Amino acid sequence: MNGPTTAPKLGVQGLTHRFEIGDERKSLTVLSDIDLAILRGQFVCIIGESGCGKSTLLRMMAGLLTPSEGKVLHDGVPIRGVNQALGFVFQQDAVFPWLTVERNVEYGPRSRGVPKAERERLVAHWCEAVGLGSFRKAYPKQLSGGMRKRVDLARAYANSPDVLLMDEPFAALDVQTKATMQEAVLKLWESTQKTVVFVTHDLDEAVFLADVVVVLSSRPGRVYAIIDNPLRRPRDEATRVSDEFAAAKRALWVALQDARAKGAAAPALPPAAALVQHAEPNPESVRP
Amino acid sequence: MMQSNAGGSRHRLFRPSLIVGALSLCAIIAAYWAMALRPGTNAALVPAPPVILQTLIEELRSGDLLTNTLASLQRVLIGYAIGAALALALGALAGWFRWWGYILNPIIDALRPIPALAYIPLVIVWVGIGEPSRIIIIALAVFKPIVVNARAGMQEVAQIYVDAARTLGASRWRVFATVALPSAVPYFIAGMRTGVSTGFLALVAAELIAAPSGLGFMIQNAGQYFRTDVTIVGIIVIGVLGALLDQTASRAGRALTAWSDVRREP
Repeated sequence: MNGPTTAPKLGVQGLTHRFEIGDERKSLTVLSDIDLAILRGQFVCIIGESGCGKSTLLRMMAGLLTPSEGKVLHDGVPIRGVNQALGFVFQQDAVFPWLTVERNVEYGPRSRGVPKAERERLVAHWCEAVGLGSFRKAYPKQLSGGMRKRVDLARAYANSPDVLLMDEPFAALDVQTKATMQEAVLKLWESTQKTVVFVTHDLDEAVFLADVVVVLSSRPGRVYAIIDNPLRRPRDEATRVSDEFAAAKRALWVALQDARAKGAAAPALPPAAALVQHAEPNPESVRP
Repeated sequence: MMQSNAGGSRHRLFRPSLIVGALSLCAIIAAYWAMALRPGTNAALVPAPPVILQTLIEELRSGDLLTNTLASLQRVLIGYAIGAALALALGALAGWFRWWGYILNPIIDALRPIPALAYIPLVIVWVGIGEPSRIIIIALAVFKPIVVNARAGMQEVAQIYVDAARTLGASRWRVFATVALPSAVPYFIAGMRTGVSTGFLALVAAELIAAPSGLGFMIQNAGQYFRTDVTIVGIIVIGVLGALLDQTASRAGRALTAWSDVRREP
């Protein structure tokens, strides 16, 4: 594995994307000049209004879509096609309904030819880790929406991805379930130290989860601001009602307003600004 | 959490679907009976239900009915197996892989409007009057609905599952085998059930080609001797047989798609 400081875990360079609309002459620019550098072990949230292209950006990071211009780098190497070293958790229900919970969780390792004994161990471990130990034989239709999301998370983690990309995974859940799922994601992140890029439109969610919040502007989507989240870790349910949480949210909000006041034309930070590294005990941001 | 069918199986015999179904069948028989008993009706041409029942018993005793039923059943099963296997394989390939689609779609779409019975003269000229040509006709009749449904099922596979499988490290072949095929199973079942009825349709037509035995032969032969009762017995047996096979296909389909949360038909 590359050294943590030589290249960002995930880099986006000069990424612009246009959708063709109707005839080929017209096109709509959805993402413009995106530069990002996400360091190993970071939890990065990307927020923006709906339609700002944040999901498109995430899909491009996974290689599910190819940008019109620019590139995505993984450990400094440009990706081509679907990057199967990354895990992706979709907004929609993407759990395979024709497979049981354990067969879903086993899907990634099995695709990679992991031996049976090791697969069995992975399934047991990850089903337990997301609290579905007693539902291993159940089919997804027998589970609630929140439980299906847990299956999705377990499936992504069981595949030992290098980075996890999550596209508004909890947008369809009720407030209570959403909160529980966010705590589950934080726990998984803390125990695995895997880099997470998490797209959301929910400021509370971003404050609760992220080290760094990337704010996108709309039409075209540009990096509007990259904001360090001052909220201390570890975070749990008590954090949500703390003054610190309110302060962190306010700080984010102010930074957001600042960025807006300066105008979308001027990027809030120089391109490829390196973001906070989670692994450091020091919560201060480090910029090269 | 787990779904249960306890409520349904406890009162098996008293299910509304059975009672209403039996009543509607009785109504048809009663209407026919009333027609048969009308004064001036030729009892030989419109036999009353008891006569038909008697003929059924006679045919069973003589063993003719059994021989004919088995001959037909064998033809249908062989023809169905060949037609369905080809249709599933080609439909799945055409609906999923772009190049297979380029190759197969024009053929499938050209075959679609042609009734299988239109091939009968060609098959006779090319293959002759024998068991192979009857089986070929049944296979052709079965092929069409299944290939069209199988292709549609593969074209409707939700992109989200394909993306999920790809990000999890599945190869293109594995996506085909473990995502596209299973998620298209409900379509395969729908096509295979339609195939049962078109298969029986073609069976009777195929047996009109100088068949030495079979239900189609029995119906045709009886018609020539004005044995309307025998013809009706043959028709009833075909109906019952077809319904039984359709039920079997439907049950197999449910077992295969137990994971699906779509509404079950009655």
